[in-house]
Amino acid sequence: MAQPTQEAASWKAGDAPAGTVNVVDPHPLNWLYITWNTMEEPVRTDERGEIVGACMEDSHWEGSTLVVKVREGVRFQDGTNLTSASIKRAFDEVQKWVAPHPPGTYLNFDPDTTVDCPDDYTIRFNFPEPDGLALAKFRGFHIASDRFWDEGGFGGKVYGTGEGHW
Amino acid sequence: MNDVDPSEALNKVCDTEGEIDIVSEVSFEDAQRVIDSEHAHLVTIDAMRIVSGLINRDREYMGDVRVRKALNLAVDKARLIEGHFKGYAHPVAGMSPPYSGAPTDIEPYPHDPDEAKRLLSEAGWPSDRPLVLATTSDVAPLADYLAESFRSSLGIEVELVAVPDEHLAAAQKVLVEKKIPQNFDVLSHAWFDLAAGYPPAVIHREYYHSGGAFRLGPPVPEFESLMGRSVIETDAEKLGDLGRDIDRLTHCEALSVFLCCPMALVAVNNHVNFTGHAATLELAETSVEEGHWSRK
Repeated sequence: MAQPTQEAASWKAGDAPAGTVNVVDPHPLNWLYITWNTMEEPVRTDERGEIVGACMEDSHWEGSTLVVKVREGVRFQDGTNLTSASIKRAFDEVQKWVAPHPPGTYLNFDPDTTVDCPDDYTIRFNFPEPDGLALAKFRGFHIASDRFWDEGGFGGKVYGTGEGHW
Repeated sequence: MNDVDPSEALNKVCDTEGEIDIVSEVSFEDAQRVIDSEHAHLVTIDAMRIVSGLINRDREYMGDVRVRKALNLAVDKARLIEGHFKGYAHPVAGMSPPYSGAPTDIEPYPHDPDEAKRLLSEAGWPSDRPLVLATTSDVAPLADYLAESFRSSLGIEVELVAVPDEHLAAAQKVLVEKKIPQNFDVLSHAWFDLAAGYPPAVIHREYYHSGGAFRLGPPVPEFESLMGRSVIETDAEKLGDLGRDIDRLTHCEALSVFLCCPMALVAVNNHVNFTGHAATLELAETSVEEGHWSRK
């Protein structure tokens, strides 16, 4: 299971970000790095690249269902709270696409997967069969506020689909 | 700020304060310049990256494991890493980075030109049959090194074919679609992983699986079986074991010319605390000290 996100050693509770950094990143995956630095995902990777919890606090399998405990206290840039409904919204939006991920369709969830939200901070992913790569797929599962999706998402409102418009 | 040319950005991060704080993708040639600079330091990252020779097993002779092993034995990886990568790379035995789920009981193929020649001869490689090595511009120096290695270690001619940048997208499409046979034997290639722990999900799968974008050659039944078991395995320890089995198989069958994992190099200006991440450029843990230009 993914481990809780480690806090940076120098940060204390109540600290607020201070300062500005100018970054030049010529890497061809810069578009992805910007997405990862500005959106939420259930998991992220630590310094060594290991998967750790982000807005997912913990998870466990019940047969072919992955039960995810959503971290409380996470807010989007517009001030709204991230809840299990936010994750379900992102799932429902992206499942409409045939190939949402530029690296390939192996990051897709099975099209027959369903999700339930028994409460604000629990979400259940009901896969047709156990998905050994589910946590890795969570790395590319971008969670956004309702406002993001309502105002166009990844281009779906303008183009009819978000595919190719991350 | 990707409207700043990388060389201009490197000058600013090394020679000034208050202009550029972080520059990623520092070249191996520029690493010492950052180390010697007054205003920046170099952060080195064991990154989820790998460079290899993609073997086209559809071509005559390339389906023979003796030929593929000969190609691996022909390359002096230590000299490649010291020369081209200035020491900023790790040799690999297979396609798993040594710090990300690689088995510990296999070693990188040694540089052994005599054994390489013997295997190539045993496989019946005709003396007048050139090896066709293809490359894209991003890994062209690596291809030059491979071409020289194959010529000198194997005593065969090498035809080096460069894919022009303007044809890259079309060439990638043809590679992925697999409708038109590729006319090269080996392609110098760079790839990456999105996370550590189970490289087959993103690396091995793309190169060798029946659904992989870069696979050139028939699917390997044992590989398909191992991947089929791994995609439904939810126990992390067992998944790791399957990943190591896949990498051992990859090594034993010499499915690629295994080279190395290049490090990611980042130049960081004074008064900036940056934590390098293996799989991404991550800024969540970056902080600036009180002496930083933005806090004065």
